[in-house]
Amino acid sequence: MRINHHRSSQLLSAYLDGELLPAEAAAVQDHLLECAPCRAAYEGLRITKGLLGELPVAEPPAEFWEAVRRPPPTRAVARISWWTPALQRGVLGGLAAALIVLALALVPMIKGTVDRLHAAEIGVDLYVREHALQMSTEPLADRAYLGVITGDSDLVLAGESAHRQAGGR
Amino acid sequence: MIGARLLRTLPAAALIVLFAAGLNLAAQVPAVPPAKILQMALQAPRLVDYEGTKVITVLRNGSMETITVAESHKRPNDMRLEYVSPEDVAGRLIVDNGSTAWHYEPRLNMAFQGPTMQGELLSRDFTLLMRNYRVSALGVEDVIGRQAYVIALDPIKSGVHRQLWVDRSTGTVLRSEERDPTRGVIMSTYFSRISFSLNLPEAYFQFRLPAGARVLKMFTTASESMSPAALQARVRFPVLIPPVLPEGYTFRGGALNQFGSLTSVYLRYSNGGNLISFFEAPAGAIGWPSAGRAIKVGDRPARFVDLGYFRVLIWEQHGLRLTAVGTVPTETLTTVAGQIAAGREQVLVRDVSDLIRSDPATVRRLRGEGLTFPEVARTIVLSQRLGTDLPTTVRFVRGSLTSADLAAQLGMSPHALQEAVRRAMGETPAIPPLPPVLR
Repeated sequence: MRINHHRSSQLLSAYLDGELLPAEAAAVQDHLLECAPCRAAYEGLRITKGLLGELPVAEPPAEFWEAVRRPPPTRAVARISWWTPALQRGVLGGLAAALIVLALALVPMIKGTVDRLHAAEIGVDLYVREHALQMSTEPLADRAYLGVITGDSDLVLAGESAHRQAGGR
Repeated sequence: MIGARLLRTLPAAALIVLFAAGLNLAAQVPAVPPAKILQMALQAPRLVDYEGTKVITVLRNGSMETITVAESHKRPNDMRLEYVSPEDVAGRLIVDNGSTAWHYEPRLNMAFQGPTMQGELLSRDFTLLMRNYRVSALGVEDVIGRQAYVIALDPIKSGVHRQLWVDRSTGTVLRSEERDPTRGVIMSTYFSRISFSLNLPEAYFQFRLPAGARVLKMFTTASESMSPAALQARVRFPVLIPPVLPEGYTFRGGALNQFGSLTSVYLRYSNGGNLISFFEAPAGAIGWPSAGRAIKVGDRPARFVDLGYFRVLIWEQHGLRLTAVGTVPTETLTTVAGQIAAGREQVLVRDVSDLIRSDPATVRRLRGEGLTFPEVARTIVLSQRLGTDLPTTVRFVRGSLTSADLAAQLGMSPHALQEAVRRAMGETPAIPPLPPVLR
C-alpha cells in the first residue's frame, strides 16, 4: 500500500497515537523514510505531544469549590419556593378540569348552533313536506303534484341535493 | 221550379235538424245538480280503477313547469306514480298502499318510507266544501274523447277558485284548474290518456326494494291528531293558536313534528278545499333560512318564500319561530301572522267571554280545542240557542256533524235547523277585527 504526501500529512497525528491499521501505519512509515517535510512535521508533532504530557494537572482554586457548594441566591429560592410538586399537580388538575368544563359547555353550544343553522336550511323543506303530506289527504288535492313536493323535500332532508326545492334554491 | 221548392223546404229542414240536435243535446246532458257532481268526484277514487298519463302544469318560481306522470289507481286506496318528466324527477316512483307510501329515487338508489298520501273521505270534507264554496255547473265538455261535467268551486269569501272536469260515467276528475285571483292559473292538470276498469294486479301496488337500495324512514309526525291543549302539555314553549283565520278555515288537526333535534308543534286548518299549516318552534332551535326575501309582519322581521303553488311565511314572535305554509294570497298569510301573538291570549279570552256573556273557562277550553275566536263565539251561542252540548256543537261548527245528522239528533227538520242556525248566527256578536300585533 502506498500513500501520497497529502494523505500522509493527514495521518501523521493518528500514526503518532498508534491508531492506524497495520497496513496504513506501514505505508506512513514508508512515506516518512522518503519524505523529509513529513519527517519534520512528524518530529514537531512528537515533541509537542511530549511537552503536553509533561505539564502538571491544574487544581481549581478553593474559592471555586466554595462557589460551587454555596446554596443558590435567596431571591431565586423565594421565586419558586411555592411551586411545589403538589401545587403543580393541583394547578394542572384544575386547568384540566376547567378545560373539560369548557368543552362540556362549548360542545352543546357549538352543536346547538350547527343544529340551528341546519334546521334553518332544512326547515322550509321539512315544513313544506309536512304541509304537502297533510294536503294530500284533502279530497281535491292532486297527489301526483304533491308527490313531487314531498319527494324533493325527502332528498333535501336526506342531505341529497334537490335544487328544485325551497332550501336548495 | 225545383229551386223554388228547395228554397221553401230548406228552412223547415234546418229547423227540424236544429230541433233534433237540441233534443239530442238535452238527452246527452241531463240536469245533474252541481253538488251531486262534486260528491261523485269525491267518491270516485273509492269506486273505480284507472291507469293513465297525467300532465301537470304548475307555477314554480315565477314560471310554469310541466310535469308528466304515469298515474295508476286501484280502489280504494292503492296508488302508483311513475314520473316521466322533467328530467330531475324522471324515474321517480311513488307507491302508496293506503297505509305507507314508498318514494324511490333511482339515480341515488334510495328509498324513503313515509306516511300514506291518501286520506279517508269524511263527511266533513263535503260539508266544508259546500259551506265555503259556491258550486256551480258550467255544462258538459269533451276531454280526451270522454264526456265530462264541468263544475266551478268559487270560494264564498276569498281564496283559490277551482274548476273540475268530472268524467260522466266514472266521476274521475279528468281535468282540473286552480286560479289565484292575483296570479291567474297556478295549477292545471289533465289526463292525456286514461283507461278504466283494468283490474290492475295487487302486486303492481306493492313496493319492492331494489337490490342495494338505502332505506330512510321519514315519519316526522305521529299519525294521531292532538288538540293544541294536548300539544301544550308535551312541549316547553307556548303553543300559539291563531285567534282569527280567513272565514271558513277550521281546525283540522295538530301534531308534534320531530326531525333530528328540532321539535315543532304543527297545527293545520282547512276550509275543505285548501289547507293552512302553522309550525311553531323555539327560535333558538331554528335560524332564519337563506331562501326567500325579507318582509315585515307588523313591525317584526319576517321571510317570505314563494314556491309558486305554495307560499311560506316565517316570522318571530316572543322567542318562537313561526312558519305558515299555504296556497293562499300573501296578504292572507301576513294578516293571519300579524294576529298570532304570545302574551295576549288571556286578554282576548276575557274580552270575547265578556262579549258573548260566557265564562272565560269555557272560552279557554274551546281555544284549547283549536277553535278561532269567531268559532268560539259561534259555538257557545249555537249551543245556548239549540240546547246542544259543547262537544256536539263543536263537531257541527267544524263540519264533522252534518246539518241533517244534527237535525235528526234534535228531532227537527233540516230546514227548521237551518233557520235556527241562521237566527243564532244573527245574534252572535261579531268579533271585532283584532289589532295587528306590534313588537
